Amino acid sequence: MGSTSELLVQALWGIGGVLAFLFLFIVINKATRELKERRALALRQELEPKILAYVNGKGERLGPQLGHLRGLERAVAEEVLLDNARFLKGTARSRITAACEELGFVQNRVVQLRHRRWWKRAEAAEKLGTMKSPKTAAELIALMRDPVPDVRMRGARALGQLDTRTSIRPLLEALQDPNRWSVLRVAEILAGMGPAAGDELVDAFHVLPLKARIAAVDCLGRAKSVRAPAMLIGLLSDPDRDIRARAAHALGLIGDPNFTPDVLKTLKDDAWPVRAMAAKALGRLGRAEAVGPLAEALGDKEWWVRINAAEALRSMGEKGLAALMDALSSEDRFARHAAVATLEGAGVLDQYVEKLASPDATEQEKALAFIRKIVASERTDSLSQSATRHAQEKVREQLGRILKPGEAKT
Amino acid sequence: MMPLLAVNWHDLLLRSVVTFNEFVIFYFLALNSVYLLLFIVSLFEVVRFVRRTFFSDYQQILKSEMTWPISILVPAHNEERGIVDTLRSLLQLNYGEFEIVVVNDGSTDATLERLIKAFDLRKTDRIYRRTLDTARVRGIYASLEVPNLTVIDKEKGGKSDALNAGINISRYPLFCSVDADSVIEENALLRVVKPFMEHPEDMVAVGGIVRIINGCEVRDGRVTKIGLPRKALPVFQVVEYLRAFLSGRIGWSVLRSLLIISGAFGLYKKSDVIAVGGYDSHTDTEDLELVVKLHEHLKRQKSRYRIVFVPDPVCWTEAPERFKTLLLQRNRWHRGLLQSFARHWRMLFNPRYGVIGILALPYFLVFEMMGPFVEVLGYASVIAAYFLGILNREFFLLFVLVAILYGVFLSIAAVLLEEISFRRYPGWDDLARLIWYSVWENLGFRQLLALFKVKAFFDFIRRRRRWGDMGHRGFRETAPVPTQIPR
Repeated sequence: MGSTSELLVQALWGIGGVLAFLFLFIVINKATRELKERRALALRQELEPKILAYVNGKGERLGPQLGHLRGLERAVAEEVLLDNARFLKGTARSRITAACEELGFVQNRVVQLRHRRWWKRAEAAEKLGTMKSPKTAAELIALMRDPVPDVRMRGARALGQLDTRTSIRPLLEALQDPNRWSVLRVAEILAGMGPAAGDELVDAFHVLPLKARIAAVDCLGRAKSVRAPAMLIGLLSDPDRDIRARAAHALGLIGDPNFTPDVLKTLKDDAWPVRAMAAKALGRLGRAEAVGPLAEALGDKEWWVRINAAEALRSMGEKGLAALMDALSSEDRFARHAAVATLEGAGVLDQYVEKLASPDATEQEKALAFIRKIVASERTDSLSQSATRHAQEKVREQLGRILKPGEAKT
Repeated sequence: MMPLLAVNWHDLLLRSVVTFNEFVIFYFLALNSVYLLLFIVSLFEVVRFVRRTFFSDYQQILKSEMTWPISILVPAHNEERGIVDTLRSLLQLNYGEFEIVVVNDGSTDATLERLIKAFDLRKTDRIYRRTLDTARVRGIYASLEVPNLTVIDKEKGGKSDALNAGINISRYPLFCSVDADSVIEENALLRVVKPFMEHPEDMVAVGGIVRIINGCEVRDGRVTKIGLPRKALPVFQVVEYLRAFLSGRIGWSVLRSLLIISGAFGLYKKSDVIAVGGYDSHTDTEDLELVVKLHEHLKRQKSRYRIVFVPDPVCWTEAPERFKTLLLQRNRWHRGLLQSFARHWRMLFNPRYGVIGILALPYFLVFEMMGPFVEVLGYASVIAAYFLGILNREFFLLFVLVAILYGVFLSIAAVLLEEISFRRYPGWDDLARLIWYSVWENLGFRQLLALFKVKAFFDFIRRRRRWGDMGHRGFRETAPVPTQIPR
């Protein structure tokens, strides 16, 4: 037992020592951090007015205005410049880039791109993107081969921010990244780079792997390339259902009503995600010839197609609403229910309920006919509520008569 | 014969006490080795996490059209006092596309009326897919003012049933369960969705950290100033939560064995939850049961999947300030753990379930379930040893000191993790109190929790005999479930 006790005494000293170390570490860490933060704040208050004056046009160069900067001063100056770069545009933005080059911040971050710690490389890429110096394009392109996905992602974003044509090709290659989130982000970066990126994407599309192509289709819908529509229309008959669905969606995003006949064909696709996306796109395209097929799609066997078709009709204004009203008499229960829910959401039901109090007898008759259709559709929760809560007694009475006790169903 | 028998009994008792004490020492070493391992894993992960997020890409997630929209489900039973504030706070969340679905689960107070009045709700004929069975839905309400708000009024079926009704009506592929009496931080959805954006195919569920709101200033449903509670009992729980989340769940998450995502705040892929039949009404902790079910189902399907914990999306929740409430809360948590364990015992030591079957569930059996008994019996055996005259006082005192000091070490280590990462308690006085209470919680609070768990075990045994009478509970008394507490 003696030796066990000795062991316990040793354990006691060991744990006590570790505890003391932890305690000291926590206290010293907190104290040094707070001191550094305080010093940085004071420096910021000193440097920020000078930097802002330069950004707003004072002097040709920032260096002479700040004097010789060291250690924390340099870090604070860089931070102030980057904070402002994030929301400034035009000349002020260019002056920030020039200041970052002049003060050596760009060069320092380029060196940091080769740091052995991945988060240091990622930080450098992020900051170079904000500095927006075109001189760094080659280094950032090289970063797209970094083994760490986070670093590649920051590099891609930085390239996107540089906004130069040389950035597009490496970004297209980055669409083949195995990380799905990275692919989506790169696609967004490319879409943000406009028609030039769209054209390059059209050229490179068929050599991309499937996942990259799906992301690229979305990208084509937003990049505003004149070559995109023809390609997207071709993709509506792609063997992959995700590509077909995304192509229909992208055509909807571009929004040219002339796409309607092609998109209409996909409303009969075997795969429901394609039909659902086609319905959504047709709503965006808004052509009258889509109303009939969309009304038919209200009875689709897939819930999402019905919902998207109803929403599309709703977004098409009077002609769409008229089709929804016709659907109230449909033999298909799902179509009737979708129509009621959408008409309610569009405020049409409320309009007709109000007309029950109209002094015009024809208007009243029309309203009564419409409300009877709603009642026949067996979706009467909203009407039942109006029957008890409507401000006008006449409306409550009329609704009460139509609904009758026990008639309302949900 | 008689004296011989008497000597044998005495001998047997002596030997039993000595053997048990040796077992306790062995158990103590094994348990604390696991805790140490979890702490080391968590330390590395926290450092990695902080470095990874030192400049966030949350703005990109916010602006991206590819960010998945989220349905926030808020089950509510008799929440008339706070439901409107909770919703106003949720509506201010910083996120692109989201909807809020409140499920009024047979409230007998004015919960529904308050909602109707505050948001000008109208009954609608909204259509939805009834994928999960629930108690009868009496009505669906929508707001003209707030288009992304839906309120379901249904007959009482319990929290699980309410969540299932919410899943049925929700429109988006991800849903986030939120307690009606919790406060979600403004950027929490952006943070909790990030793992889904990074691994859209594999990610099934993500849990955020739950912190204690007692002592904080709350205005308009938002935490405006963070502080520690004044009373001792909730501060003990602050330390306990830090240890459970920062040192426990992070570790389990890295080991791909996270068994619990707090009901107060978790994000799930709807299709996977529907595939396992949604939330289960037969256990007292529906959140734990759901995660275990997901693991069991996905492992059986041999799917590649991830269920992870992310330490920076914060949900603030109230901790009990009275011992009686704490007892009720912990009793329910431990009963829930036992119930889920009883339902999924086939996964135990089963290599088919990977690390869950080989490591996580055995840990629960040996340390979470047996631990309280070993601890309480340990105290009893010390008393027995004293009366039998075999207590080595020097050894006993040293052992108690080592045990207490080690407990203090684990708590201070959790404070360290907080200090090097999120630093939610910025003041020196807060830090001093956290350290102080990290010491004190080992002198009574921890032992009290062990007793609560022992009581919960006997309650579980009794309740199992009358399983059908369990009934459903309300929400007020339910709190997030920090099991996998490394104690």
